Amino acid sequence: MRGIARGMRRRPPKYSAAALAWKGLRGDPWPRVWRDTELKRSYDAVVVGGGVHGLATAYYLARNHGITDVAVLDKAYLGSGASGRNTAIVRANYLTPEGVAFYDRSLQLYNSMATDLNINVMFSERGHLTLAHSDAALRTMNWRAEVNKLQGVDSSVVGPDEIKEVAPSLDTSDHPRYPIQGALYHPPGGIVRHDAVVWGYARAADHMGVEMHQKTEVLDILCEGGDGPEGRGAGGRVTGVRTNRGDISTPFVVNCTAGWASLISAMAGVRLPITTHPLQAAVTEPVKVFLPTVVVSGSLHVYISQTDRGELVFGAAVDPVATYSIRGSLDFTEELAGHVLELMPSVSRMRLLRQWSGLCDMTPDYSPVMGFTPVDGFLVDVGWGTYGFKAAPVSGEQMAAAVATGNTPELIAPFALSRFDTGELVGEKGAAAVGH
Amino acid sequence: MTMSRLEVQPTEVIDRSTTLRFRWNGKRFSGFEGDTIASALAAAGEHVFSRSMKYHRPRGILTADYWDPNLLVQVGDDPNVRAGHRLLEAGMDVGAQNVWPSLHRDIKAANGLVSRFLTAGFYYKTFMRPQRLWPAYERVLATFAPGGKVDPDTPHRYHDKRYSHPDVVVAGAGPAGIEAALAAAAAGARVMLVEHEHAVGGHLRYAHPEPARAALAELRAALAASDVEVLTDSTVTGRYEDNWLGIVQRSHPVAVERLIKARAKVLVVAPGLIERPYVFAGNDRPGVITSVAARRLINLWGVKPGERAVVFTANADGDAAAADLERAGVEVAAVVDGRDGRRVSAAQGPPKALEAVVAGGTRTEADLLVVAAGWTAPTSLLNMAGDRPVYDPAAARFFPSDPPGNVLATGGLAGDGRLDELRAHGAATGRLAAQRAAAVAHRYQARTARALAVTGDEPAWAADERAPLRRDRHPELYRSDTHGMVDLSEDVGSKDLVAAAREGYDSVELAKRYTTATMGSAQGKLETVNTVAAIAEARGETIAQVGTTVWRPPYAPLTLGALAGRMFEPVRVSSIHPWHEANGVRTIQAGQWIRPDHYGDPAAEVRNVRTNVGIIDVTPLGKLDLRGPDIPKLLNLLYTNKWSKLAVGKVRYGMMCAEDGVVLDDGVTGRLGPEHYLMTTTSSGAAGVWEWVENWLQTERPDWRVHVTPVTTAYASINVAGPKSRELVSRVVDGVDLSPEAFAYMEVRTATVAGVAGCFMWRIGFTGELSFELHVPAGHGLHVWEALMEAGADLGVGPFGLEGQRIMRLEKGHFIVGQDTDGLTLAPSTGMSPLIKLDKEDFAGLPELAWAADRQLPLIVAIQPDDPEIVPEEAAQIVRGDTNEILGRITSARMSPTLGRAVCLGQVEPELAAGGTKLTVLLASGQRIGATVMDHHAHFDPAGERLRG
Amino acid sequence: MLLVPCPNCGPRNSADLRYGGESHARPDPATASPLQWRGYLYLRDNPAGWLRETWYCRSGCRRWFTLERNTATNEFRDPPQPGDKRGSKA
Repeated sequence: MRGIARGMRRRPPKYSAAALAWKGLRGDPWPRVWRDTELKRSYDAVVVGGGVHGLATAYYLARNHGITDVAVLDKAYLGSGASGRNTAIVRANYLTPEGVAFYDRSLQLYNSMATDLNINVMFSERGHLTLAHSDAALRTMNWRAEVNKLQGVDSSVVGPDEIKEVAPSLDTSDHPRYPIQGALYHPPGGIVRHDAVVWGYARAADHMGVEMHQKTEVLDILCEGGDGPEGRGAGGRVTGVRTNRGDISTPFVVNCTAGWASLISAMAGVRLPITTHPLQAAVTEPVKVFLPTVVVSGSLHVYISQTDRGELVFGAAVDPVATYSIRGSLDFTEELAGHVLELMPSVSRMRLLRQWSGLCDMTPDYSPVMGFTPVDGFLVDVGWGTYGFKAAPVSGEQMAAAVATGNTPELIAPFALSRFDTGELVGEKGAAAVGH
Repeated sequence: MTMSRLEVQPTEVIDRSTTLRFRWNGKRFSGFEGDTIASALAAAGEHVFSRSMKYHRPRGILTADYWDPNLLVQVGDDPNVRAGHRLLEAGMDVGAQNVWPSLHRDIKAANGLVSRFLTAGFYYKTFMRPQRLWPAYERVLATFAPGGKVDPDTPHRYHDKRYSHPDVVVAGAGPAGIEAALAAAAAGARVMLVEHEHAVGGHLRYAHPEPARAALAELRAALAASDVEVLTDSTVTGRYEDNWLGIVQRSHPVAVERLIKARAKVLVVAPGLIERPYVFAGNDRPGVITSVAARRLINLWGVKPGERAVVFTANADGDAAAADLERAGVEVAAVVDGRDGRRVSAAQGPPKALEAVVAGGTRTEADLLVVAAGWTAPTSLLNMAGDRPVYDPAAARFFPSDPPGNVLATGGLAGDGRLDELRAHGAATGRLAAQRAAAVAHRYQARTARALAVTGDEPAWAADERAPLRRDRHPELYRSDTHGMVDLSEDVGSKDLVAAAREGYDSVELAKRYTTATMGSAQGKLETVNTVAAIAEARGETIAQVGTTVWRPPYAPLTLGALAGRMFEPVRVSSIHPWHEANGVRTIQAGQWIRPDHYGDPAAEVRNVRTNVGIIDVTPLGKLDLRGPDIPKLLNLLYTNKWSKLAVGKVRYGMMCAEDGVVLDDGVTGRLGPEHYLMTTTSSGAAGVWEWVENWLQTERPDWRVHVTPVTTAYASINVAGPKSRELVSRVVDGVDLSPEAFAYMEVRTATVAGVAGCFMWRIGFTGELSFELHVPAGHGLHVWEALMEAGADLGVGPFGLEGQRIMRLEKGHFIVGQDTDGLTLAPSTGMSPLIKLDKEDFAGLPELAWAADRQLPLIVAIQPDDPEIVPEEAAQIVRGDTNEILGRITSARMSPTLGRAVCLGQVEPELAAGGTKLTVLLASGQRIGATVMDHHAHFDPAGERLRG
Repeated sequence: MLLVPCPNCGPRNSADLRYGGESHARPDPATASPLQWRGYLYLRDNPAGWLRETWYCRSGCRRWFTLERNTATNEFRDPPQPGDKRGSKA
């Protein structure tokens, strides 16, 4: 395919303290983070969805494979979906060997992201506690810890005393309705500034010639040769996409959407094992920093972290009712607050400042659907449930490899769509009552 | 700016006869009953209340109400208290937040000197290298976190909640809102009127006495005489699906804050308008206040806001403020009229005060600048209802576009007008709301299949025939010819927003995320429109083109305590629980149930069962009473094995699978009569299995005649186990021949136990011992338990708990669904293949199990560590030799008191499942130990002679 | 909190019900191919619009029933009348 030379443009200024000081002194403006270009009629590859997954895919297509004639399309603005609505937790302490290997690679990429992308994504490696309130939960924590250790991932089960040391505000007494019996402690886990990841990938991809097109909605996917209507469906191949700004011809379309994965895939005649549910989150007013780590309780369906700005950020499990409406609910905040106070009674006077929700595409086995589909040239990177953000770098890297080589990389082979034809599902279901 | 207390004002809300003493930053102060914290401090001459977030600039009063970004203080253990709203109480300990070492000497104010380097988003562009230093940077950044402190000893105070089902909720008790409430109530609706401030009246409260005062008195009297429920110091925090409203009541006499959940048939949104700050150099300086703030200070609390003022006005409210200032004795040095195209350019002075105002090139000395530059329409509740407000440049604010029919706007949100016009619009809105509420009520009633008295047709959906309010022209005043602060709580300036837009963060949402504008305490109520305007300016577009952000709930923040309320997550205990507690039980939580884990020594309990007899309370066991002729068909459909030939008096074990073939639940079911069965499920599966059974019966087989009743808690269940169990049971049971010939293993009888009739009793063997499980009417559980203890004293009867039972079932190799199986365990993996009858016509999961017959699946096997003393952790991994390749895991492990060695169950790859296979088990300590797969699941009594005895 | 129109109990808060998800017909286990059966187990239309779905009124009448809801707006259509065959695809 066409190389970097064609897409490359002037060398943009690097971010650094020195550049910041120099520009500050001279009052110079910074250039645009990504260009605003005309939409062309043809691309080597089109990525649908300008979130972290789509942008990472485009970035790695350009960086690792020299494929720079790529358009990333988003119907709103970059990072407008789940990428900007998640609670920004990263971790690798999954249950299955395939899950651990995959997320561990993602964590490595997060670790070097600031220098790779030349933007401070504020990766705060602050440790991650998954609390257990029952024998059964503790058994699952042990299981995860053992699998993690075998994969070289730092996880261990700790008792109430150690929990109290890591996070003194937790109530480790035996008073609560759900006493804390232990926890899976995962020191490499932490939080990342999610928007910075979006902007960092977009900026770096832009530098290599990738085009980002906002307010560009995909209305249809053009296919030929398939067994369905208008050439869609199994056995066919992709020829292009129809957008609200005109048709584009392309041999590759990568569906990197969350919340709309079923709808985009249906345009190519591909049916998915997905239902779409809102995932709600909320943030309090800031107070002085007191919670140094990420705290998760699966039984209580809550996860908590405190940002450097002092806000507590809360998340929960997805809403039970499938819907594309993301207006949020009062019962979510009530249950959330009840469970937070069960864990940390001292924050009862903190005030909830804002709640929001995003859409999550849930699969039957709490694992994504990645790679090729029965339609040639139509790839999916979907079904990310509540754990898409933490997987973005590795997903982009592997999806780019799939597009560039035509082969399914080993790391994502367990997540193929075809597993739902053979019934060989991934075993993350056990650990994923709360996906954070 | 020097503030002081004025003479008595006719409109004031303070009671000067009651002095309240309090502390501010450790010093003694006093105010009057009715003061807010801020008004009391202002009256005492305080003019700096906080430091800004990033640059630590001194900040004073801006809006003097709940939304004032500069008036967040700590009160005792309560952080981020709105001093512009919270009423003063005697003894309050109030302190400034986010200052060090003190409010007046704040070291971080040095940040202001380098502000040109700290532009919005600066942190994204630096601190990348060296990466190992980022944690150190992060710790420094974290010290800049604004806000108060959480006291680690703060208790979760009592919080009440309330459900309400009003016809009409009116959010906002200004003149239009009050009229709406009165009109709706007059039309027969049940009305709740919710006012954010401490009293009803809206802008009339601080308006010049006449005619506003007379109108206010009239409205208050009418409200008092009406049936309207008035909640003051309360806020509708959110409008959710189908008009489900969250209302926080801060004025409740007992609860600190109370959450009211109301299903309103119609919501009337009447919050009025919020005055918007104006952007110019120095606009965040103490001494620059909004016109409403000036009027509130003077008229509500008798506070003189300064000595010499400049008034920048673009509307009648600004003019009224100028008049109020003059009446209060403030010298109005200059009036800058925005309607004539004049602008304020700068507020100048030393850091903590205002010295002069520059407008049109003229510098006027003043210690107060009052700004009336326009309004923000707080459309939050309309947004939550799905409305997308539209900007009107002629009126310089947003207006509702098309909210759903059960949400109506009135008052300033809907338009402008004289007081009588606003009141008339409110009244018309109230009548419309009542009509529509009646239609909704009728629809709710009629939707109930067995509605009792739904009479008449549904009332027609009343058309909206309200005469619309006019829209007054207002100049578009957002930013002057200088740059200033747009978001005071986040320290985001117009320069930052312009720079962000130029960098490509040029949609409102991107700019908001990049700069954090509108993310602070007021959540955009003061900042949003100025933010949009700054971006529009940078892009050369109009405000309408740029659009606005989506307002998200809650409208006003509320405490986690209020949201949580009391935790309604009850625990369940059996009727025998008092005995357990009196006898040294250690309990364990199992789902909702609190169960006996053991009574001090579980190993001794096991030995007693194996040698004598023990009794265990198994009440939580799920129990479904089944009646009807088609039960065998149902059981054939739900269990993997066959049920057609189960005779009356017989019991059978069954395993249930989901449609994907994964093990769902298991248990025994007994046939009590020709058309009467008792099904048992696992304790944790009880609720789910019931729904599962109902689903099959109602959706797939609606023609089958089976009636299902959950009886889990209708019966107390006691298992009597051990070689002496028959002797013990015979002493308390009447009328049943207990001999092995007459009452065999896996049979059920109806019996009278300890004088209690209507008990069921079956012989099963989870523990591997001869055992009788008694199901007795729950009210008699404790009696039967005590009778067993008494009758068996000479037999050595003792209680045993869940731990003992777990040990014994593991000795017997019985698996537990959810512990030894997981979310992917197909039925054949349990080793129960003989119970999977693939020749049945149909059962849940059949196709998958048929296909699975050819697949190599992991298997559950019994495992014994070669070193009998080592008990592996449950979850210890089974690996290939010295490698890290996972071949299985230990799912259950205990030291067996019976065998004196460690015993386990585990799941292993099929090639390791044969008896005698040597395994390597990796312990949590990292040690690798040898273990052996056993020939049978049962470590103990594999032939089952004991339980059949 | 959605207001779910239970055909027996009238409008009820969704917290009183269990959501059963998209209605889909169960293939005949005797003849279903693996692809058909796994389509029934796993694949969903998941439309952004009107969806036929099942609910269980667990705190009320204890009936499973079918409703139609617009997943973009959460608006319900009038439920089918009690006595209709439930759970099968329209």
